[in-house]
Amino acid sequence: MSPRPIRNAVTLVVDGREVVAPEGTMLVDAAKGGDVEIPVFCYDPKLGQPVGACRMCLVEIEGIPKLQTACSTPVRDGMVVYTQTDHVKEAQNAVVEFLLVNHPLDCPVCDKGGECPLQDIAMGWGPGRSRFTDPKRHFQKPLDLSPLIAIDRERCILCYRCVRFSQEVAEDEQLQLLERGDKSFVGTFDDRPYIAPFHGNITELCPVGALTSYTYRFKARPWDIEDAGSVCTLCPSQCNVTFTVRDEHVLRVLARDNTAVDDGWLCDKGRFAFQMFNSADRITRPMVRAGDGSLSPVSWDDALAMISKRVRASGARSAALLGGGASNEEGWLAQRIVRTAGGSSVDSSPSPVDSELLAELSRPELSARVEDLDYAGAILVIGTDPLHEMPILDLRIRKAVRRGGAQLMVASERPTALDGGAAAESARYGPGEATAFLRALAGGLGADGYERADGHEAKHAAGIAKVLNSVPDPVIVWGERLWRSPGAVEALRDCARAIGMHNRIGPGLLEVPEEANGRGLREVGCLPAAGPGFGPATAGRDAAAIREGLASHELDTLLLIGADPVRTHPDGDGWRRALAGSFVVAASMFDDESTRYANVVLPAESHAEKEGTVTHPEGRLQRLRPNVPHPEGVRPVWWALSEVLTGVGGEAGFGTPEDVFAAVCAEVPFYGATAYEEIGGQGLRWQERDPGASWKPGDGGGGGIAGDADSPIAPSGSEEAAAAAYASPSTPPPPTADGQDGLVLGTYRDLWATDVTKRNPALRFLMPKQKLEVAAKDAEELELANGDEVTVSVNGSSVEARVAVRERMRPGAAFLIEGTDEANANVLTNGTPQRIQVVKR
Amino acid sequence: MSETRLLFRNIDEPGLAALATYRRLGGYTAIAKAFKEMAPDEVLEQLESSGLRGRGGAGFSMGKKASFLPRGDMDKYLCCNADESEPGAFKDRELVQKNPHQLIEGLIIAARAAGANRCFIYIRGEYDLQGDILDAAVAEAYEAGYLGADVLGSGEQVELVVHRGAGAYICGEETALLDSLEGKRGNPRLKPPFPAVQGLYGGPTLINNVETLSNVPHIVASGADWFKGFGTEQSPGTKVVSVSGDVRRPGNYEVELGIPTRDLIEGLAGGALEGHQIKGFFPGGSSSPVLTGEEGLDIPYSFEAMAEAGSMLGSGSIIVFDETTNVVELALRTARFYHHESCGKCTPCREGTNWTVKMLERMIRGEATPIDLETVASVQTNIIGNCLCVLGDSMAMPVGSMVQKFRPEFDEAIERGVPGVETGGPVRPIEASIAA
Repeated sequence: MSPRPIRNAVTLVVDGREVVAPEGTMLVDAAKGGDVEIPVFCYDPKLGQPVGACRMCLVEIEGIPKLQTACSTPVRDGMVVYTQTDHVKEAQNAVVEFLLVNHPLDCPVCDKGGECPLQDIAMGWGPGRSRFTDPKRHFQKPLDLSPLIAIDRERCILCYRCVRFSQEVAEDEQLQLLERGDKSFVGTFDDRPYIAPFHGNITELCPVGALTSYTYRFKARPWDIEDAGSVCTLCPSQCNVTFTVRDEHVLRVLARDNTAVDDGWLCDKGRFAFQMFNSADRITRPMVRAGDGSLSPVSWDDALAMISKRVRASGARSAALLGGGASNEEGWLAQRIVRTAGGSSVDSSPSPVDSELLAELSRPELSARVEDLDYAGAILVIGTDPLHEMPILDLRIRKAVRRGGAQLMVASERPTALDGGAAAESARYGPGEATAFLRALAGGLGADGYERADGHEAKHAAGIAKVLNSVPDPVIVWGERLWRSPGAVEALRDCARAIGMHNRIGPGLLEVPEEANGRGLREVGCLPAAGPGFGPATAGRDAAAIREGLASHELDTLLLIGADPVRTHPDGDGWRRALAGSFVVAASMFDDESTRYANVVLPAESHAEKEGTVTHPEGRLQRLRPNVPHPEGVRPVWWALSEVLTGVGGEAGFGTPEDVFAAVCAEVPFYGATAYEEIGGQGLRWQERDPGASWKPGDGGGGGIAGDADSPIAPSGSEEAAAAAYASPSTPPPPTADGQDGLVLGTYRDLWATDVTKRNPALRFLMPKQKLEVAAKDAEELELANGDEVTVSVNGSSVEARVAVRERMRPGAAFLIEGTDEANANVLTNGTPQRIQVVKR
Repeated sequence: MSETRLLFRNIDEPGLAALATYRRLGGYTAIAKAFKEMAPDEVLEQLESSGLRGRGGAGFSMGKKASFLPRGDMDKYLCCNADESEPGAFKDRELVQKNPHQLIEGLIIAARAAGANRCFIYIRGEYDLQGDILDAAVAEAYEAGYLGADVLGSGEQVELVVHRGAGAYICGEETALLDSLEGKRGNPRLKPPFPAVQGLYGGPTLINNVETLSNVPHIVASGADWFKGFGTEQSPGTKVVSVSGDVRRPGNYEVELGIPTRDLIEGLAGGALEGHQIKGFFPGGSSSPVLTGEEGLDIPYSFEAMAEAGSMLGSGSIIVFDETTNVVELALRTARFYHHESCGKCTPCREGTNWTVKMLERMIRGEATPIDLETVASVQTNIIGNCLCVLGDSMAMPVGSMVQKFRPEFDEAIERGVPGVETGGPVRPIEASIAA
């Protein structure tokens, strides 16, 4: 691990100006403190150690005869540096002239023109003319580096940035420099397409127009566009982004470097999923379903009046389910509507969350920051695959291992992207058996009330416990899905206690929520048994129980805000039946699998249009800023919800999202009296200032309309079912109906198995087909081979899939993807592990 | 005029490559002394005080370099650079081929001095025969207990692996050699950190040339003072010099450093061919600035004298050319070699070598203008000192010196070209896309 930086300041002189910089800073960065710019091409500290390849940053240092590269020279006290002497200027002119020897200088037709470091540096530090008169190097161009990126090898100045990103940041190792000398070019082995989830970053890293995205190619010039900052809410990473806007349309998404959140990287989903903003398929006006099943447009007034009337009439039988990128304001308003009407069933997670335990885990001292990963001695990733659930965290963890020296351990049902390469230790437990593993881990850590267990997992758990107990500042990254294994999160809490996370700054827990704003939604009261700020509320139904309640008509009205339970929640067919017999209001950008059952459909905003706040998994409040206007007919969801709230008898008078945020803050004690402006462009972590910093569970909060706390509570269906079917977490599920001792099914979210992939033409090729992952041993026993087409069934439901034999699988387990367009695995699941039958087709 | 043979003492003895012969002639006695009678620090001290300078090209004090390795219990590496690829250099080939045990003995002793336990010999891939001989010799040394977990019962471990290169000149650059050994593309690394601190697999690493290490047994056996009795104060010892080109008796000659260069070229190598005159020579391999016959022959052949004359001793490889050689063509050949071998990592070398070749080709075709000659000279100046490693300088220094010292020939080429030299046609064909 790398120690938290405590660096002494040193004083140096750059071009006659005194500059103070922390020891170890590279000269090129320190010089900025004296307002001296030293040009660079290959240097970018985000890419790791400097390589000194481009030679653009040569400077003169007193006492050293040869010019030195400022990118790789750490500052020392008393250093005297010159960046503008004749000697330096000659070298700069020489390097620029050399770089342009083979560069086509086709700036008039190059997308980079106007925002091109090569142009800027050639202008600022070059000789202004070239003496090169011979033919230049030629390549065929442009070529597809990937379906999303074009490569122009003639423009390439071989700075290595893209190659280093691939090798040292994303660690996909696909990009290479091929050939040598002036014939060098960037490519992949055997010209295979560069398909990797973060590869779009290379278009931003490229200092020339050699790597351009097909989605932006020839679309705009820098003087046509405006940059607008916001936050991507397609996943819990909540990366900070800059939208490139031309004529009120988003044409490009760029990273907006925020070390606390994203380190300046974006995943390809966040980068390329902007085409959907302008999709012709968007829902742009309120619609009501007629008796014949058809949808017809209605006015906003009529739609909102209809919803208000229905919710008021429905009272305690109304419910709300939130998800996706629903903002804190939308979440707060939705729960307020249901609770004002007398209902109590509000949820924002497909997993059964225990609000009391969640509140305890939300204590400031227990929660880790993303930046804590950089200094962690060890990282345990449990119950999540960050690549699929919070992609940018995958890169951050790799950085912690590669550059911070953290020991990485992974414990999960399914092999993760971090296994093998980055991870020093991988432990596999069976689907749904996280509890047994975490209990063994707690035992290994010496937690009170746990015993040291025996067996295979226990051995792994003991090894992991030993590391967690011996290194400074361990961080545990855990998946919200652990809630699906009864008792797992309790054991996790006890592990944290045993490590002493409660009373130390540094080590902590970082949850990967299932929904993009999962943390925010729960904090503003979208929980079945807690109100805003984990305050008291009449206990209601969680998501699974809402489904059961709708099916049994104990509930009859459901608000879906950003949620598509038919696609994303367990028991997809059950949701279809539940929604079909109920009054459903769905706010959505597109006609998705759940809006098909909606009685009233409201258009929703994209994250480029929305105003409001979201809360990052580390507790950072971040602001969404409207950067493009709503398509005609679309109105803000917060406004619609605020109108409905008034309609059901709640408070009126929210004029702006800021007003709603003030109301949220008034009820969420740890948000305190945060002013909208304070959140700023980088967000504000509530744990880092009072009252959040000193908040502890039980410090109040709540909706102020908490009903009768003694009212009969509908038991959480899924938890009860889980307890019954799975009495002991380490007991495998019963054999299938025909007595076959089948594989135990686990399901997972795939980064690309979402509606978003479908809505963005550029990304469609990434939409995964259903596949059944099995261990080699099981494949052999079942006589299955890679690519075999099979039917996978559980209790009469079935999906079709192709077999994929995977490494590092635990024998006895098999995995299917949730949320695929076709053959969605969630029709086979009900929240508990199942045994499957596999039949070859 | 005669040679002074230390490393070459028994070089023509039949069967010297076999361990038995080497031992019969007194081999592997220095290693016994180093491991049984001397502490590692004493060995290091011997090497430092001997003043032995690296024979690979840079001429840095070998003992001092070894002393830069940190002390302490950790894996440390010693790499012998046997990737002899410089045009004109063939001394290491003979040393490895005929006397591999001298190298192995020197390497093991140097490993003791530096505290290195894991050693590699990185041998040029084309040295196939020599690689086989080295493999056999290493096997014999293991068998005899000079290598392995317990060298001569001392409890010290020294492991040695022979690794063959794959034909890239750049892998003779010490940090590119390390990358190549690690299985990566052989590109030079940024220094600092220097290999002594962070080298192979991130560990402290000492890198020495074949000839440097072959000196070590002699220094340990006979002492630093004895060694300093040869050569000059700043260049002690002897040097195996490869003499090639337009001379009557090309070959390797071992001489005391500091003798007049004339003794080497005209004495040992027999001087110019019948009826010809020496026009000039590269004193230290194709990467050293050329000297004209008149200015160069009387310069003492030592590191310091050659540096003072504006050239360098380099690897100690003399390439002689007579009046039949057209210097523009020589410049093109030199530039083409470095253009072909440039790794492409840093800008001045990648683009400068390519540009220089194109301009020289035009000169030879008679398509150049006087401005081009200024540009050729200026491009060389722009390369020197601005690159990541020394490969760019290795072209720029000799080519620059040729323009400076043989300018009339370049002027002549600009007027009429150089007939009979193949340059690939009047207009260089556009290189087809490699990836097309």
